[in-house]
Amino acid sequence: MNEKQLLIYFLSQFDLAANKVEEILSALGKDFSFSKLCSVKLEKIVSKTAADKILSLASSQYAKTYLENLKELGIGLLCKFDKDYPEKLLPLEESPFFLFYKGDLSLLKMPSIAIVGTRTPSAYGRMVSERFARELAQNGVAIISGLAYGVDSIAHRAALECGGKTVAVLGSGLNNIYPAQHLDLAREIAEEGLLLSEYCPSTSATKYSFPARNRIIAGLSDGVLITEAGLKSGTLYTRDFALDYGREVYAVPGNIDNCKSDLPNEIVCSGQGMGVTSSKAILENMNIDSQQPQKKNLQLSFEEDVVVKLLETGAKDMDELEKKSNLAIGVLKSCLTMLEIRGIISRMPGGLFCLK
Amino acid sequence: MLAKVVSFGLKGVDGYKIDIETDVSNGLPHFEIVGLADTAIKEAKERVRSAIKNSAFEYPIKRITVNLAPADMKKEGAVYDLGIAIAILSCNEENGIKNERDFAYLGELSFDGSVKKIKGVLPLLISARNLGYKKFIVPKENLTEASFISGIEVYGVSSLIQTVKFLKGEEELLPVAACKFEDISAKQNYAMDFSHVKGQKMAKRALEIAAAGGHNLLMIGPPGSGKSMLAKCFPTILPDLTFEEALEVTKIHSIAGELDLKQGIVCTRPFRSPHHTASTVSLTGGGPNSKPGEISLAHNGVLFLDEFPEYTRHTIETLRQPLEDGVITVARSNATITYPANFTLIASMNPCPCGNYGSKDRECKCSAAQITKYLSKLSGPIMDRIDIHIEVENVTYDQLKSRNEEESSAQIKQRVDKARAIQLERFKNSKIYSNSKMNAMQTKRYCALDREGEMLLKNAFERLKLSARAHDRLLRVARTIADLEGEANILAKHIAEAISYRSMDRKYF
Repeated sequence: MNEKQLLIYFLSQFDLAANKVEEILSALGKDFSFSKLCSVKLEKIVSKTAADKILSLASSQYAKTYLENLKELGIGLLCKFDKDYPEKLLPLEESPFFLFYKGDLSLLKMPSIAIVGTRTPSAYGRMVSERFARELAQNGVAIISGLAYGVDSIAHRAALECGGKTVAVLGSGLNNIYPAQHLDLAREIAEEGLLLSEYCPSTSATKYSFPARNRIIAGLSDGVLITEAGLKSGTLYTRDFALDYGREVYAVPGNIDNCKSDLPNEIVCSGQGMGVTSSKAILENMNIDSQQPQKKNLQLSFEEDVVVKLLETGAKDMDELEKKSNLAIGVLKSCLTMLEIRGIISRMPGGLFCLK
Repeated sequence: MLAKVVSFGLKGVDGYKIDIETDVSNGLPHFEIVGLADTAIKEAKERVRSAIKNSAFEYPIKRITVNLAPADMKKEGAVYDLGIAIAILSCNEENGIKNERDFAYLGELSFDGSVKKIKGVLPLLISARNLGYKKFIVPKENLTEASFISGIEVYGVSSLIQTVKFLKGEEELLPVAACKFEDISAKQNYAMDFSHVKGQKMAKRALEIAAAGGHNLLMIGPPGSGKSMLAKCFPTILPDLTFEEALEVTKIHSIAGELDLKQGIVCTRPFRSPHHTASTVSLTGGGPNSKPGEISLAHNGVLFLDEFPEYTRHTIETLRQPLEDGVITVARSNATITYPANFTLIASMNPCPCGNYGSKDRECKCSAAQITKYLSKLSGPIMDRIDIHIEVENVTYDQLKSRNEEESSAQIKQRVDKARAIQLERFKNSKIYSNSKMNAMQTKRYCALDREGEMLLKNAFERLKLSARAHDRLLRVARTIADLEGEANILAKHIAEAISYRSMDRKYF
């Protein structure tokens, strides 16, 4: 690694905006050396504290240790000049100068859809997020999202569960996963998919970092799918970025009296995006041959068949199933568990069951 | 002059003999009670003197000393008033009492000489009988309570004069006629019945299983979904109390002064629902004299903890040992007492602080962190002791108004009784009575699975991400479900149903 690279990577640890980094680099002229850095009037570009910090640490030896430490943490580093840097981000105005990553970078070359939405989805929102994520992932589309509660994590999990690929873009550093409850999920994504962040590993999340990471989510994807979100949701940012960047916006229409469906419904009505009712429409729009997994000839017992037929008309809770199926409650319960274990139905909070 | 009569004192749920020795001698007028008496007993001086005087007896103007032996046991309460008065009166030969030693006396005196009801008659009499005493004089109001004990003669008195007349043979009293427990308990009616609960089929099924196997149960559901009502109906499907069980329960209730004196015995399974502001001590028992707490009052019955996570964490944790052992040992400076506390725990909670998480029609306003915090109040060890978790959903208006005949408690109880009979047969050589109390070895022995069941369980653990601690609980519940169906072996369908009762183990929240 030459001194130029070393110097550029060295700057990654100060969470500087891309334009600041570029200003510093242009101030250096053609001489990329640590000694030159000390002579540049940094205070004019960045704040005094930041400048002091940069100057106090600037040495090639320090930069080397810093990069070694990153490597030990299993964290990779990309800058705008690297050939691995995602091409989709390059033309964007606010593209991040640095990207920290954990996992498989080749995922960025796959066709991708971002699935985003509210942190507190309704049963319907859970169901559709899960279904779209699974069906898209099964067709070789990488699912991009933000590791947040609700729709984000449902989409990640659904993709992982069916063996698909998923990318999580964080609003915090890679070593400071937020929310902490999703540590397990983050670990799994790092192994099976890709974790990305523009922040240096120990940075904690702030109010501002989430809208900022939404631009990366929108930028990285070929299209953004909004399953459920309110009108004041952070998802608005993702939609706006997607529209700015010319990405296709997809929305799943919902009940008009469910406030969580307000944003998708508005997108559909105003024509900002495309209303979709199945993953097939998205896949067609992306020119991907959809290969819906063929309905396996399932071996169902009489009772199981009754239950599956009932669920084909929508998610139902146990009481409704009991009433309509005329099965004894014990039989029904064991039947539902069997179907769940076989992966034919899934169960949602509030005791609702739906077909996968 | 010296007189000596017998009375009984309580230590926990057991009684012990107390000799009331009275010495009336010449000297300056003085009344002294010795023998580690508490304030209530010390004050007996005034009650006894007034009662004697106002009953038109002569109160000796002499030096009176009363000793409560054994002298090293702390004694409390006003139970000894009657005994002390009789002992003083029999010191004076003019009163003509000769057979005072034939009886044991229990009762509190009032200034006008009437005898007032006391706490703990039943446990006192049972212990006294076991110590070989046969004849007792007790307050009339406590007579029903005494009527359930066979092999003793109990006379009820309403005043000091009546007592003296009876002792002198001037008034005839008949010992209380023995009551048959079966006659009373057959007449018992619960105010609640499952036929009043509309819908909620799943919850009812789960409660049936809990009743059949003695399993503890947790209900999770939004406010107003009927969790409390379901819990209140739960005792109605539990097997009837046997006489022995009823005596155990009555003893504790009698000590706590919670007994219905008209009925005299507890013949329905107790249902206790302390509020979530309850202190730890009120639940476990305690105080300077180690009184029984709510969990002991719920012995052989149901302890219902509504809004489970709202109890202080410490309070919830103290339930761990009694849930495991069925007894609680309360140690205080004055006494260390072991109370029975063999209850079924029914707990209920909302899925989140606002209560609407996962609801179909209402929006939950809690953040994920709030929900996590709310749920983290329930520690692993406590969840370990709760076999069945169910989700209770709101009932719709149509369901409420439906005219469908709901199953009555009596019908459900028949099935429960059958399943219990199977368990009694299974455990006849061991010390347990229900599936929920099986230890690891017994679980292995009685809950063997066939190949299909094993496969199902293995798949379930992998696919549904059940925690390992669920394993044995699951088998025990499956055993009960099989018992309800009268199956000798646990089949795959039983396992499958049991799995559906582990919602808190799932990565559900």
